[in-house]
Amino acid sequence: MSTPPENDIAALLPRLRRFARSITFHREDADDVVQIAVERALTRSAQWEPGTRLDSWMFRIVKNAWIDEVRTRARRDQLFAPEEEGEHVGDDRAEAQQQRMAIEQAMRRLSEEHRMVIGLVLVDGMAYKEAAEVLDIPMGTLTSRLARAREALQALLSDRTRNKE
Amino acid sequence: MSFSDETLMAYADGELEPALAARVEEAMRADPRVEEAVQRHRALRADVFSAFAGVLDEPVPARLRPAATPAAAPAPAAAAPPVSAPVSDPGGATVHSLEARRAARTPPARPAPAAPRWGALAASLAVGVLVGALGWQALDAGQPPFARHGGAMVAQGELADALSHRLAAEPVAADAVRLGVSFRDRDGAYCRSFMLGTTGGFACRQGDQWRIPVLAQAEQEQGQEAAGAYRQAGSAMPAAVLDAIDGRIAGGTLDAPAERAARDRGWPGGK
Repeated sequence: MSTPPENDIAALLPRLRRFARSITFHREDADDVVQIAVERALTRSAQWEPGTRLDSWMFRIVKNAWIDEVRTRARRDQLFAPEEEGEHVGDDRAEAQQQRMAIEQAMRRLSEEHRMVIGLVLVDGMAYKEAAEVLDIPMGTLTSRLARAREALQALLSDRTRNKE
Repeated sequence: MSFSDETLMAYADGELEPALAARVEEAMRADPRVEEAVQRHRALRADVFSAFAGVLDEPVPARLRPAATPAAAPAPAAAAPPVSAPVSDPGGATVHSLEARRAARTPPARPAPAAPRWGALAASLAVGVLVGALGWQALDAGQPPFARHGGAMVAQGELADALSHRLAAEPVAADAVRLGVSFRDRDGAYCRSFMLGTTGGFACRQGDQWRIPVLAQAEQEQGQEAAGAYRQAGSAMPAAVLDAIDGRIAGGTLDAPAERAARDRGWPGGK
């Protein structure tokens, strides 16, 4: 049996959507990316080598679907704003939401490369080794890229804090 | 001895081999600046993680499931069992009859990206308005699921019972309380998210009560027909609730064994 079982792909969908959300700029684009990736995975399932990690393979397809199909037509105008406006329940919630939006906004200002490593390691929680495999780069490159990505993200977030004060 | 920032980052990410990790720990004890650097990496990681954690709690739109994509399934429109619960169902019990699901589907047209999304939400409502105003006709108990207790909203009846005793993965009737994630809040109390019909919220254990800090209504958009395909997956947890969870959660959500253990111990902790 050389094709990945469909229900194994289905089980990965929540993680794939979360990753896609972290590398795109819009919910619908994120889901488009995942949908395209699932279609590709099924049509190219013979390319998956049994015994290798299905998740690494799927994450790589998601990454590629973004880069070569959705990115060019991506929505960039409004992040996740429409649904979030007008819901202000309490201070705690507003604060948590602000924090979340600050991170989303900082993420979209990162370079593509930096968003990818953050999306894999910090958002998905993937080990360095697997993340390096998804991105097809050596471990050393992954580690230094991740360190730079974190610095960049931290800088964007502290800019925001400073500007508020 | 000093470590590079990359090494401290790798330590914070749990990526160092034990011998090196032990040396970093030593350095952390010896030098508060090292400790601080590690904490900064951990804090950023935790913040970024929780900013996106809520996505896992959303039902997966039907169009993304393998059997729904054009690449799969020639799919004759035969009478067959209905599509079942979302594939994110932690029990995993709903995804194995793909053949049946496939047979149940008419060949799916890929919806335009802007198609109305079931689960898009309406503004949150004040708790008091919800009680009585929303439909838990689905719950046959005459008792409303919420009560006011000393200024707080607490769960009662079937909801309280589900929160106390049921695991998220246990299969339930379609009209029952649906449990989402369990987690500990920053005060150490156990909290659980739930959906009741189209109302979502979460409750935190305090003493012998489940207090409900946030409730919100998930509302389908105009054009229910168009959204019909998504309805079977159940309403999505309202974003207002996901945001509130983000704001309270300490660490990650509990996995199934941890949830079971907490349940078995009666959800201890909290103030």
